[in-house]
Amino acid sequence: MKKKYENNLDTEKSSNGVLSVKNLTKRFGTNVVLDNISLTIEDGKTTVIIGPSGCGKTVLVKHLIALLRPNSGEVYFKKHRIDNLSENELNNIRTHYGFLFQGGALFDSLNVTENIIFPIRQHCKITDWKEVEELVKSKLAMVGLDGFQQFYPSNLSGGQQKRVALARAIALNPEIILYDEPTTGLDPIRSDVINELVLKLQKELGVTSVVVTHDMNSAYKIADRIIMLHNGKIIADGNADHIRNHPHPVVQQFISGQVSEEDLAVLRMRGNISHTQFLPRDFE
Amino acid sequence: MIGIVGAKAISGVGNMGRFSRFIWQSMVASLRSCSKTHTYSLIWTQMYFIGVHSVPVVMITGAFVGMTLAVQTYGQLAGMGLEEYLGSLINIAVVKELGPVLTAVMLAGRIGGALTAELGTMNVTEQIDAIRSMGTDPVKYLVAPRILACLLLTPVLIIFADLLGILGGYLVSVVHLGINSRAYWLHSANAVEKWDVFIGIIKGLFFGVAIAVISCYKGFTCKEGAQGVGKACTEAFVASFISILALDFALVVIFKAIYDTFWPLRSMV
Ligand SMILES: Nc1ncnc2c1ncn2[C@@H]1O[C@H](COP(=O)(O)OP(=O)(O)OP(=O)(O)O)[C@@H](O)[C@H]1O
Ligand SMILES: [Mg+2]
Repeated sequence: MKKKYENNLDTEKSSNGVLSVKNLTKRFGTNVVLDNISLTIEDGKTTVIIGPSGCGKTVLVKHLIALLRPNSGEVYFKKHRIDNLSENELNNIRTHYGFLFQGGALFDSLNVTENIIFPIRQHCKITDWKEVEELVKSKLAMVGLDGFQQFYPSNLSGGQQKRVALARAIALNPEIILYDEPTTGLDPIRSDVINELVLKLQKELGVTSVVVTHDMNSAYKIADRIIMLHNGKIIADGNADHIRNHPHPVVQQFISGQVSEEDLAVLRMRGNISHTQFLPRDFE
Repeated sequence: MIGIVGAKAISGVGNMGRFSRFIWQSMVASLRSCSKTHTYSLIWTQMYFIGVHSVPVVMITGAFVGMTLAVQTYGQLAGMGLEEYLGSLINIAVVKELGPVLTAVMLAGRIGGALTAELGTMNVTEQIDAIRSMGTDPVKYLVAPRILACLLLTPVLIIFADLLGILGGYLVSVVHLGINSRAYWLHSANAVEKWDVFIGIIKGLFFGVAIAVISCYKGFTCKEGAQGVGKACTEAFVASFISILALDFALVVIFKAIYDTFWPLRSMV
């Protein structure tokens, strides 16, 4: 199955560094989101990106597949520079990727099966529908949703949508999978199943994964390497132990999930919450 | 002040550039998908949405146009004793101008709005990015089938509107106003040439493409949120409406020139 749905890109396979970014800067208006970031993602490894909400994790992974273009800097896929390619040239390269969007981004006019076979349909001529059905079934079973084939996305819960999106991202057996918060919105057990899935794909198919997450348990479990973003910079980079024992106070605060003194001060300043409550009109 | 005008001008030129690029890409994609049989199913689906459900409204539009024209012009022609020429007047107006233009305006509201809202929602929920992330060109997948469906169906819908317009005009003139049926058709047949019907339908091709391209472009570039989608729909309708009128004017001028040059030659062939 894998062979059949694979696209050839004539490149010499480098031993490491399937993806890399060099001096990447991204601004939206005056808001500098990524500030001169350089990063190499190794082949067959799972790299986890953590960082506070709004620090630019999604923006960074979108650059890795050239859905966003940098203001300055370069992005490489297997030594090919991709950030300056046209959309047409990118289409071939993007078949090597699976991308799980933070919001799922399922096609709401297509049902679950049609969503999952979308990438297959676009790139291969389907001759054997039985085989495709089997594939859909197995991918859905991996995310625990076999039996939901005919559902439309609007009839699924948020977590279910996320998992269907994950099944779609792995449909073409890509070499690189970018997960944007795969476990957000899932219960702890289901999250762990997703963790195992990431590990399994890495072990059995040698997939290179980049996982954005807020879930430190998941990060420790799946990561070969953890990168922390803060204010547009990489402030920590290393394996799980390195991060656990990182001296940087922001890192320690993030991984232990502690509120900073400044944030607490803001909450205290407001005083007793009930004082500021607005009473209903007909209160008296 | 100068800065504001300058910034507006620059962004205006930028938008024009992006829109031209979009037109070019979608034309190329549409032409390509003509030769690929597997895209036909996408086109069929769109044709069903666009075509079948538009038939009733378009027919109603046509019928009322014909009927209103009959009532409006009867008084003036009857005053000169020319009421038998009513048929030629109504049918020329319906076939050449009112049928095509009003059908197109109707479609701009009905289809254009739906296309913009659909693509706009897909845009803000990242579904278009999802298509890109899977290595498919969203213009090819989303825009080309819609353009082709509009291109093929607008002329057909115009024919429906024309037919009902003619029928409506006939009924009011003959049944209600009591004009001789034979005279009515005789004068109509003398006045309306095949050429008139032909350009009415050709206009439809242009209007259909204009509606589809503008609506899809507005959907693709719409801003975040429910308000963004709503605004894009309004802009798409206004832009389509003005383009229809402008295109109509341009086409009339061009076709008149062609007609004057070539139509007299037809007897020689
Ligand atoms: N299309 C855009 N236009 C303008 N600003 C944007 C856009 N996309 C992202 N941003 C800005 O970039 C910053 C980072 O956004 P991003 O979505 O990458 O955050 P994140 O780290 O993924 O956060 P979260 O964990 O909440 O998903 C935010 O401040 C946001 O305002
Ligand atoms: Mg994010």
